[in-house]
Order: sequence, then C-alpha cells, then structure tokens
Amino acid sequence: MSEFFNPRGVAVIGASAKKGHPNNQIFKYSKEVSLNGKVFPVNPSADEIEGVEVYKNLNDIPEPVDLIVFAVGSKNAISTANDIKIRRETKGDAGAVVIVSAGFREMGTEESIELENEMISIIKSSGARVIGPNCQGVVDLFHGVNTTFSVPPNTPRGGLSIVSQSGAFATSFIRWAKEFKLVGANKFVTLGNMSDVDVTEVLDYLGEDEKTKVIAMYLEGTKNARALIETSKKVTLKKPVVAIKAGRTSVGSNVAHSHTASIAGDDSIYDGAFLQSGVLRVDSIPEFYHTSRVFDKMPVPKGNKICLLTVVGGPSTICVDALVASGEAQLAHLNDEIKGKISSILSANANVGNPDGYIDMTASVTPKMHEDIISLLMGDESIDGIIFITSPPGFIGDEDLANAIINGYNSVSEEKKKPLLTVLMAGNDVKNCRIKLEENGFPTFEYSDEAAKIMLNMVRYGQYLQRNK
Amino acid sequence: MREILRDSIKKGYTVLPELEAQKICESYGIKCPPTHLVNNKEDCIDAGNKIGYPVVIKIFSKDIIHKSDAGGVVTNINSDEELAEKYENMLKTVKGKYPDANIEGVVVQKMMSKGIEVIIGGFKDEQFGPVIMFGTGGIYVEVFKDTSFRLAPLNVDEARRQVEETKIFKVLQGVRGEKAVDIDSICQAIVNVGDLLIEYDEISEIDLNPVLCYPDEYVAVDARVVLATN
Repeated sequence: MSEFFNPRGVAVIGASAKKGHPNNQIFKYSKEVSLNGKVFPVNPSADEIEGVEVYKNLNDIPEPVDLIVFAVGSKNAISTANDIKIRRETKGDAGAVVIVSAGFREMGTEESIELENEMISIIKSSGARVIGPNCQGVVDLFHGVNTTFSVPPNTPRGGLSIVSQSGAFATSFIRWAKEFKLVGANKFVTLGNMSDVDVTEVLDYLGEDEKTKVIAMYLEGTKNARALIETSKKVTLKKPVVAIKAGRTSVGSNVAHSHTASIAGDDSIYDGAFLQSGVLRVDSIPEFYHTSRVFDKMPVPKGNKICLLTVVGGPSTICVDALVASGEAQLAHLNDEIKGKISSILSANANVGNPDGYIDMTASVTPKMHEDIISLLMGDESIDGIIFITSPPGFIGDEDLANAIINGYNSVSEEKKKPLLTVLMAGNDVKNCRIKLEENGFPTFEYSDEAAKIMLNMVRYGQYLQRNK
Repeated sequence: MREILRDSIKKGYTVLPELEAQKICESYGIKCPPTHLVNNKEDCIDAGNKIGYPVVIKIFSKDIIHKSDAGGVVTNINSDEELAEKYENMLKTVKGKYPDANIEGVVVQKMMSKGIEVIIGGFKDEQFGPVIMFGTGGIYVEVFKDTSFRLAPLNVDEARRQVEETKIFKVLQGVRGEKAVDIDSICQAIVNVGDLLIEYDEISEIDLNPVLCYPDEYVAVDARVVLATN
C-alpha cells in the first residue's frame, strides 16, 4: 500500500493537453504537489502537456514510477492493463495503480463487469495493487500525491485521513473546511468499485499510519463486514474512527425462519457492530465533518463530566438539553472553592453553578475574565470537557477574544488538556475570531446544540477507550 | 448434541424438534422450563408431581405443526385428577382431528407465571457471521422492533450494553413499583446463545421467544432452533 502514498514517480496514463479536461487537471495537480517533480504524462497522441514531454507508452518512461494513474477510457482498458503488467515485469516498479476511469462494474451490464474483471486480473497477475476503478484515487498531503481533479493543492495539512466509497464526499469535506481552516488533512483514499483494495485494508493502513490522528469513513457496504468490524476494533484502540453509512433504509434479507433473522437488517447490525468496535457512527453530514475534525484538534475526554460556560442564555439551555438527554454525558460538579474563585472574577449578577456545572458570565465581560475562568476550568480535574458559548459582544475585538480563549486553555500543562469546544453564535460576523481560533487548533461551531452533539461523540469515544484499556 | 443436529438435518427437518432444541439450549446453560416427554397416563401424572403444579401439556408429533389448532395444548392444570382427565381428552381430540398423525407422546411442562417477555435470538449473517439480537419479546416482536444487535462472540459487559440500548431495559429495571428482574442472568444467556451459535455449523438461526424474566431468574419458554440445511 505504501507505494500509493510515497511513490518515487507518478505516471498519468491518459493525461490530456486540453484545458478544462479532467485528465488535464489530474496531471496538473499531480505535478503541482509532487515533491520531486517526477510526474510523467503518457498519451500516444500528444507531445507536450503543461510544458512537460509526453511519453507515447508507459514503458518508455526511463525513471522509476511506482504510482500509475489510469485515466484512459474503458475501450483502451485491456491494452493499458497489459502495458502496466509489462512495465511491472520488466522494470519492477508500477506497484500501485489508481484507476480513475469509469465505465466498468458500476454500469451494471454483463459486458462492463467482464471488462473490469479482465482488466483487474491482468494488473493483479503482475503483483500490482489497484484502487478503483471509478474513483478519484488518493491524496497524501505530506508526500505530495494527488490523483484527483478537485482537491486543491494548497489544502492545509493535519491529522485527518479520509477513506470513502464516494470521491465527491471526500473532496467536498476538504473544500468545505478550507476557508475557515476547520481541519488539516493527511491522506485520503476514494475507493470506487473496490475491485482490489477495499475499505478494510485502507482502514487498517490508516490505523498504522503515524500521521493519521483520526479517520473519517464514508461507507456504502463491503462484502466482508465481519473483517471490517474486526479491523475497526483494532484501529479504534489507537485512534478514533468516525463513520457515516448509506442505507439507513434496509433492503429485505433472504427468507428467514426466525423472528431474529427476519427483523435484522444490515443497518441495524451495523449499528450494533460499530458500537461494539468503538466506531462512532454519525447520522448527518455536518455531524460527520465536525466529529472527525474535532479529534484532529482536541484531546479525547477522560470522562463524561462537561462544564458549560456561556455568555448567552437561550442557546445554552438548548445545549444542556442536547448534552444530557441520552444520559451518556452530564454536567460537571463545581466545588465551592472553584465557584468562589469564579464568582470573584465575574460581575455580581453572574450565575455560577445553577444548575451545577453551568456558568453564565452575563454580557458584562472582558477578555481577561474569559482567560481567567477558562484557565480555572482547565485546571479542575473534575471537569472532563468544556463547551464555551458566546455571541461575542460588540465591545470585545475578534482578536482579543480568540487570544483570551487560547491563553486560558494553554495555561495548563499538556497532560491536563481536555476538549474545549467554542460556539460563536454570530456566523460570519466574527469570521476573524473563528479563523484565529481554528488556526490555533480550537474547533469552533455556529450552533450550540451541534457542539453538544459533537462533545457527546467525543465522550462516547473516551468512554469506549476507558472500557477497553 | 452434534449427532442430534445432524440426524435432524438428515431427516429433512428445517427446524429442530422442540425437546431437542431445549436440550441443546440447556447444554449451553440456558434455562428452560422443567419438561418431560411421556407416553402413558401414569407417567404423565408422575411427571406432573415431579414438576409440581400447575403444568401445561402439549401434543408431541412432528406431523402436527399448529398444536393449538389441533387441540393439542392444554394449560393451567392443577391436580393429578385434572391431569389424568385432560391427558385423555387431549389425545382423543387430536386423534379425531388428525387420525393419520404419528403421535410420539405428550410433553408435560411447568406452567410459568407471568413474567416480562424478551427475545434473545441469533443467526448467521452472510456478511457479519454470527449475530445476536436482544429485545422486547412476545408475539409482537416484528411490530415493536425494539431490538439491538451485536456480533458474537461477546462478553457479559457487551451484552449488558446491548440490553441497555432497548426500551424494554427500563421495564426490566422495574417500573411502577415492580421489582427489577435478574438482568445479569439474561446477559449471560445472551453470551451463551452467541457461543452456541458459533459452536454449531449445523445451526443457522435461534429464537428464544419469549424468554420470561423474573426477579430471581429467567426461563426460555420457547426455543426455536433452525437448522442449516444447505
């Protein structure tokens, strides 16, 4: 698998000279991100693409190419597969093949399935591995690999890796996060028809990958769900896996003779199996994005006691409801000592500890108050996580507020760090505050109930780790 | 045990006969009601005394699928005299309705008092392998669909979380002043059903429904074991 992510050279078979063509974009991105510049276009009917000499055949490339981007139409599939096999057998490279072309199994016709089977068996007979077909392939932001036509080369780097059975899902996540620097990415793999490398193998690989801090997985299905769950169990002990799965509505299973078999749909088994193996299954796309990204930025909570610090009333009440409804998380207990300290910082009409674990600072606040109180909460070991909710008052500057939060948080030593989620209920009106926080590794949210849901997911994973230590 | 299963498959059964199903469950520590198979009135009364009244009697014949419709189930029998009378009447009724049926005997079983009904089930899924289900039991299982799933094998802690995910869990804990039932033993039964399913390739599905839950025990009143016939 490592040849996909750290190749000595890349060949793009079917690279196009035409501006605006996907195969032109794929070549451009591959070339642009490459650390050593060893990206070679292959196309029998072009001489130069983006100023680079074109090879007529894969086997003409004199330098090592470990990664082959296969972007030719299905009518040339077999001859291209044979070229790869020859290359592999004569030069020993070409060990990783990404087939971005479509027109195979996904068409559902007998011919297209046969064509795919033949193409894959030719390539595999040489010992090379295949991702795809019908996918956007792989990205590795640290090693300079990008076989897609839609992941911008200047994507921020970080600890998130994505494995997805939909190319668009993976690329849109990255692009959604870009402007506000919501997440930094590492690797991503889109699987397409999974004719060789499947979701379980990639999950296992990302589990072992040191730079991957959290794995986001979009799943449609796999032939061997048991293997996926066994691998998940192993990986989730090391890092969180966040999954969103299509197919909430179940397709009837085969004839059953028992209540049990007739009632069980794939989806309900996935529910149970994911819980059992520590995978965080989420229901919506925003929850998928946010849950994945918080783990890149914040530590896993050690327990389920959450403190709510707020400047605004209503949204915080909604947040508490969302947080404690399932019983999995609760508000933290604030002892008299910390309550006294907090009260002495805030104005007289602030609400400190009613209900327990809840602090309403009121709107008469200064950046310094934010910093001091967050610092106190960070230092209290009976608190496992903090949600801070504000609609920043107009008299506090974006920069000052962000710095206060950052300084308060960083006032404790590394091992005392716990998750802090910041809700800025003012949308783009506090854009600079948001970007400043995100850049410094502080996840921000627009909605308080959303933050509660994400904190709850963090707590669930933390509890799973505690149980399986 | 494996012999029983293979034998039943050879005979062309898709579902293991009730008494055998009970035996195989008991061999995995799953508690079933005290049961005797008898062939005459004297043994029947003897069984009634051993089990203790009240008892239920059921016709035992592979030729009769719908026992109740055939008059082959009589419940709530409280004395030797009543048992003797009901035994003879039942045989007469069933033979009248199914003169060609091969009647292998009569099952005498402890009549269980009302308990909370749950279902413990398992089956082998093509993708997931052995899967275990727990939920609200009884005849409306498919309607309420109050169930949760795990892959087998699992331990009692995992089974406990599985139970906690269902609505019936609150009822098991005791509502409206009722005593809580013995949830630990139910969790153990879930684990055992998983182990049983893994042990035997010959079994494709298991339903224990209903499992009656009491403050100090549970009893799997009806065990259905579906055989892997292919």
